[in-house]
Amino acid sequence: MDGSVDERRTGWVLIIVLAGQLVYLATQGARAGNTLLESLGVRLLGPAARSVANLPQDVAGLGEGMRTRSSLLDENRRLRREVEDLRLRLLQLNDVQGEASRLGAAVRHASPPLGRIRAVDVVYADHASWLRTLVIYTGGAPALVNQPVLSANGLVGRVVTVAGPYAKVQLITDRAASVGAMILRTRRQGIVRGSGRGSGTIELGFVPLQADVRPGDAVQTAGIDGVYPRGIPIGTVTSVSQGGQLFHNIQLAPAVDFGSLDQVYLLDHEPVPQELRETAPLERP
Amino acid sequence: MSRFPRSFGRPRRLNALKFFAAVAAAVLFHFLGVRLIPHFSQVIDVFLVVAVLYGLEGNSLGALFAGMFVGLVHDSLSGGPFGLFGFADTIIAYGAARLAQRLVIQRATGVLALVSFATVAQQAIVVGLALLLLPTPEVPNPVWVAIRAGACGLLGLSIYIASAHWRRTSEARRRGRMSRLRLG
Repeated sequence: MDGSVDERRTGWVLIIVLAGQLVYLATQGARAGNTLLESLGVRLLGPAARSVANLPQDVAGLGEGMRTRSSLLDENRRLRREVEDLRLRLLQLNDVQGEASRLGAAVRHASPPLGRIRAVDVVYADHASWLRTLVIYTGGAPALVNQPVLSANGLVGRVVTVAGPYAKVQLITDRAASVGAMILRTRRQGIVRGSGRGSGTIELGFVPLQADVRPGDAVQTAGIDGVYPRGIPIGTVTSVSQGGQLFHNIQLAPAVDFGSLDQVYLLDHEPVPQELRETAPLERP
Repeated sequence: MSRFPRSFGRPRRLNALKFFAAVAAAVLFHFLGVRLIPHFSQVIDVFLVVAVLYGLEGNSLGALFAGMFVGLVHDSLSGGPFGLFGFADTIIAYGAARLAQRLVIQRATGVLALVSFATVAQQAIVVGLALLLLPTPEVPNPVWVAIRAGACGLLGLSIYIASAHWRRTSEARRRGRMSRLRLG
């Protein structure tokens, strides 16, 4: 008798707990949000992830150091040559940049500044499961929600949750992520998002059938979504087919190898100028 | 094979301590696995295994909260809306506890079947919720779900066998110590 009463009470507790969780989930909706519980979870698990992330690196680093000691001199020589080449190229690019600025000034064109970047460590990367994510350690200067995350090869994603020195990143391969993009060759714009096939591929949507798109075309950010600045490589077109009556079905190979990320860059970029943000809607002309 | 060890009569605090130790071990195992094996998170859900094994102890109220806690820990380490795994693991752990109250799981293969079934059920709940909540949700590949069910089942089985062996050994040691005390 007591057992059945206990079980009935547990059943009610289950219903209340599940209903509470459903309400919590429904209020979040599709928003990958910076909720208190999620921040707490990331903050508590972050240090453990960081310790584990450092562990194999240290062991591997020790072995690698022993192995590569003999080839360090060769590598040093090669790197010196590369630095000289790059310095030369930088001089040429400075010339080109100066000329572009002069031409821009002549036609009164002002391009938005790209912003400052800083390197941060990846402490946890789950790029394989269908609810993929990345946790980064930002150190003393915390990340900001919606801050773009890049690697040397291209766009990685944006920060969705900040928990002290740790932050959770939504990858561009996530089905819920959207990036305003353009095809570099034709400047045709569309929206990039995860293809939802679980293989880490992405697709470019909303490109009309009349648009000229070919496999091999480079795709980069268009700077139209209010999150990412223009000009960050996203990927390369791998296949183009007729998706429906209006748009192409375009598959892309991401520019970034998400499986090998151990360091990424946070971009300090302000997409909407502060003056515009502070202007109340009624005061606008 | 003996019945899955129950915790009746044990101090609650010790049980809670054991549970948190199991969660900490699961977190470390998950981090190491993700670091070393590229498809680890796709193949093994160590948090679900902990929730099901805790549920098998038969305390449905405890299992309910344990499932929710473990699920929320998993949510902290995955993308998508926060609480998907919390919701699913609450149901799974509670279901496992109710099942353990009604059935006597005599064989280790029963644990394998139960954990495998729980994995499929959890994926179904998570996908169902994602379909309800997200405009264009991603659905996991059925082949990967099958592989995941098998792998989680095997992990659950291994933990079950190891814990049963450890319990038998420690029990035998305790009895030996008691008999020596009586003789002395």
